[in-house]
Amino acid sequence: MKKFALLLLVIIFYSHLFAQITNNIPSSTSIANTGTADSNNWTAFNNPAMLGYLEKAELGLQFENRYLISELSTKSVQLGFKSNIVNTGLSFSHFGYSLYHEMIVGMGFARNFSNKFAMGVQFNYYTAYFGASNSYRGALFPQVGLLVKLSPIFNLGFNTFNPFQTNIQTDFTIKKLPSIYSLGSEYFFSPDFAWRTQIEKEISSNYRFATGFDYRMLQHLSIKLGAYNSDYLVPCIGFGFNARTFLVDLNCELHPLLGLNALAAMKYRF
Amino acid sequence: MRRLTFLFWFFLFFPNIVKGQDAVATTEQFIADIFEQYTAETEDEIDYDTFYEELMYCAKNPINLNRTTREELQRLPFLSDIQIENIQAHLYKFGKLQTIYELQLIEGLDMTDIRSMLPFVFVGDADDTFKKIYWHDVVKFGKHEMFIRFDKGVETKEGYQFLPEEDENAAEENSKNYFGNALYHSLKYRFHFKDRIMVGITAEKDAGEQFLGNKNVGYDFYSAYAQVNNIGKVKTLVVGDFRANFGQGLVLRPDFGMGKSSYVLNVSPRNSGLKKYGSTDEINFFRGAGATVRLGEFDVTAFYSNKMIDGDTVNGVFSSMYKTGLHRTESEFDKKHTINQQVMGGNATFTHSSFQVGFTAVHTILDNRLEVDKSVYNYFYFSGNKQTTGGFNYRLRWYKINLFGETGMTDNGAVATLNGFTFSPLSQVSLVALHRYYSPEYDTFYATAFSETSRINNESGFYLGAEIRPYKRWKVAAYVDSYRFPWAKYGIDAPSIGTDYLMQIDFAAKRNISMFWRFKYEEKQSNLTQDEEVMPLVVPTKKTSLRYNLNYYFGKFSFKNVIESNLARQAETDWTYGIIASQDVSYAFSSIPLKVDVRFQFFDAVNYDNRLYSYEKDVLYAFSIPMYFGLGSRYYLNVKYELTNRLSFWFKIAQTVYADERELMSSGNETIMGNRKTDMRLMMKLDF
Repeated sequence: MKKFALLLLVIIFYSHLFAQITNNIPSSTSIANTGTADSNNWTAFNNPAMLGYLEKAELGLQFENRYLISELSTKSVQLGFKSNIVNTGLSFSHFGYSLYHEMIVGMGFARNFSNKFAMGVQFNYYTAYFGASNSYRGALFPQVGLLVKLSPIFNLGFNTFNPFQTNIQTDFTIKKLPSIYSLGSEYFFSPDFAWRTQIEKEISSNYRFATGFDYRMLQHLSIKLGAYNSDYLVPCIGFGFNARTFLVDLNCELHPLLGLNALAAMKYRF
Repeated sequence: MRRLTFLFWFFLFFPNIVKGQDAVATTEQFIADIFEQYTAETEDEIDYDTFYEELMYCAKNPINLNRTTREELQRLPFLSDIQIENIQAHLYKFGKLQTIYELQLIEGLDMTDIRSMLPFVFVGDADDTFKKIYWHDVVKFGKHEMFIRFDKGVETKEGYQFLPEEDENAAEENSKNYFGNALYHSLKYRFHFKDRIMVGITAEKDAGEQFLGNKNVGYDFYSAYAQVNNIGKVKTLVVGDFRANFGQGLVLRPDFGMGKSSYVLNVSPRNSGLKKYGSTDEINFFRGAGATVRLGEFDVTAFYSNKMIDGDTVNGVFSSMYKTGLHRTESEFDKKHTINQQVMGGNATFTHSSFQVGFTAVHTILDNRLEVDKSVYNYFYFSGNKQTTGGFNYRLRWYKINLFGETGMTDNGAVATLNGFTFSPLSQVSLVALHRYYSPEYDTFYATAFSETSRINNESGFYLGAEIRPYKRWKVAAYVDSYRFPWAKYGIDAPSIGTDYLMQIDFAAKRNISMFWRFKYEEKQSNLTQDEEVMPLVVPTKKTSLRYNLNYYFGKFSFKNVIESNLARQAETDWTYGIIASQDVSYAFSSIPLKVDVRFQFFDAVNYDNRLYSYEKDVLYAFSIPMYFGLGSRYYLNVKYELTNRLSFWFKIAQTVYADERELMSSGNETIMGNRKTDMRLMMKLDF
């Protein structure tokens, strides 16, 4: 009971802190969730244009634990296929626990145009479980992304998740789904040292400003540092291990009020 | 020798210069740049239609640079007065141009200007005689065009929802609704033979107006014109609907005038003389006939107009003209064509070399008397049924300085005067200064001149602008304007002052990447809206904005990103903010004649003072610069398909979704239930 009360308190607080609409989309493995312009990294339900830069088929698994509470964790899996015409991605994520959970299934298509820019579109089906009616309800909506390489060292990314502000309607209530617009940039000080910035707006929530540095310190090891601000300033740190076909990312962020948020991701490139 | 050397190297290394933008892209870019700024500043509807049609006409009938006049070059709005003077000075000094590449030699013209000009100009024969017109040539080579447009909103507005007859309130409620259906429709026919003979017919039915019924049969608005140019001594002869523009616009200029914008040097209005009118704006034109005759160095113009206009006329008196052109309900219909307006006027202009002086007079007779409901701000507005206005205008080039100005006077003795000069001490630097004084008693019907507000009266001010090209690919433009209203204005119940500052930095990073940063700050005074105040309190209002605009293209794809934010405050209240951001993608297919434009945009401007404007692409001859106020997003798809060489289609669908918990939009008959508004447009163009 004590655990349940604590969980309830955190969920209420979490909902309030992350403004009017809770955002349970899997975070990007880019530090401080600056994935909109990260040309080397496709993460499920982030900028689908990155799928266009896949050089090989890949399979990824990700687990994000919010504030060390298992009930607030997001699990996701992604599968990307490379082809000459258009790259295809399949994604799935699950947030929550038995009494309340949300799932997203996505199928994305993206193409890289002469390495100058890439465009991607993803169709997502968002489902939520409603305990009151013991039923699942869902909605289908698109996600559109763009990444432009304005110069060899500067990229600009754009991503919109649920642009038409589609919601899930039940007999009793309307569950508002996040509608996100994000614009990001990526600048390479050197091929091993990238700086990313991102501004993001969930239409009913506060602006989120994020920035992060990604430095490949050794051949197989990267260190990532960043921070974002959305009501509170949240510092972030992460590590990346790259063993050619096998990639591991570990990111942490420390919310001043809610505590630690941890993300672990594994990716295998065939 | 310098010229030959330049041309040699130029031909050798820069063969791609003539690959300029197409006319539509240039025109749309200009409209996006400048009209967006005008729309944000004015409370009046801007007639983009006429402007666009003129530039498109200019693209189809390019200007021969070796036989051009100042008037012709003024049709190209992206050229400043200094640049026009420089082109003419170059032609005078070096003779006719040998090739279009020679434009590079003209002072003050950079690659961006030249690329903008290319769709509208060519280098041809310098023969300045106009050939005789033969009717069989007119029939054989004349070009016909037909434009058909339909607009429809997807959501049903309150004005189209009728209660069933069984309902006891049905009679009363239904009588307030619109007579007609929700479809907007317009039809335009155009014929032209070179730039010598032009004929046009326009018909329009606004959404809500009746097409076939007991109130109206056919279109609500019809317009027609015929114009002939350069027949003997007759420079222009126009019959039907037309406009007459002279001088700086203090006496007569129904067209839009140049105002404050990032084109800081463009402060003088363009397009003087008589001009056909074919827009769907139902107010700002004359209906009758006019002619301009060339007598040596004099151009003499006379015209007469007689048409019915709308107003709230009761017992031979009306308090204001009704200028929307909408006749959808009983009350709007009652205002239709209740006033007869006769206008007669003329202009005589003497031009000698680089000196020009003109006199303009216009006399207006209304069959009903205009009696303005007087309050403080409109105390000096014109009342009566007759008015005469006259004025002198001049233009003079003296060394590197271009002087210009106009002074007008109404028959009550009130004076308005505007004087200024532009000059370019170095090829990289151009400057402009302009002073205006418009008496509070000066109020005439057809004035449109440089001003803080759209009404030309009760204002004095001083404007300074500069355009500097410090390095290759960089351009800095800035202006300051300090003005004063010596009498109360609408929304300002006391004499007041104001100041505007603007700075824009343009950077063309590469041939396919360009960007600009625009900073603007304005401070003026307005009434403090507090109910408990007995006397209105006039307090300072401040607004500052910053915009970043990035354009880039790769092959057939083109992209545009815009981020703009502003801060506003009245008196010592807290600053409030507004933000808009958009992503545009356009693609022109190479295998099929199809072009697609897509935009996604979000806006966050909770207070009205933080409202933002954003130009968006549209079907041919339709323009949208919507105002964004509230919280939400907007997206559109705009498609152009050329089915054959003669038949083209445009289609646009746009939707705005608000996220600020509103349950309805607009008010009265325009009310839409819900938070979504969807519009569709279809346009067809037929050449034959």
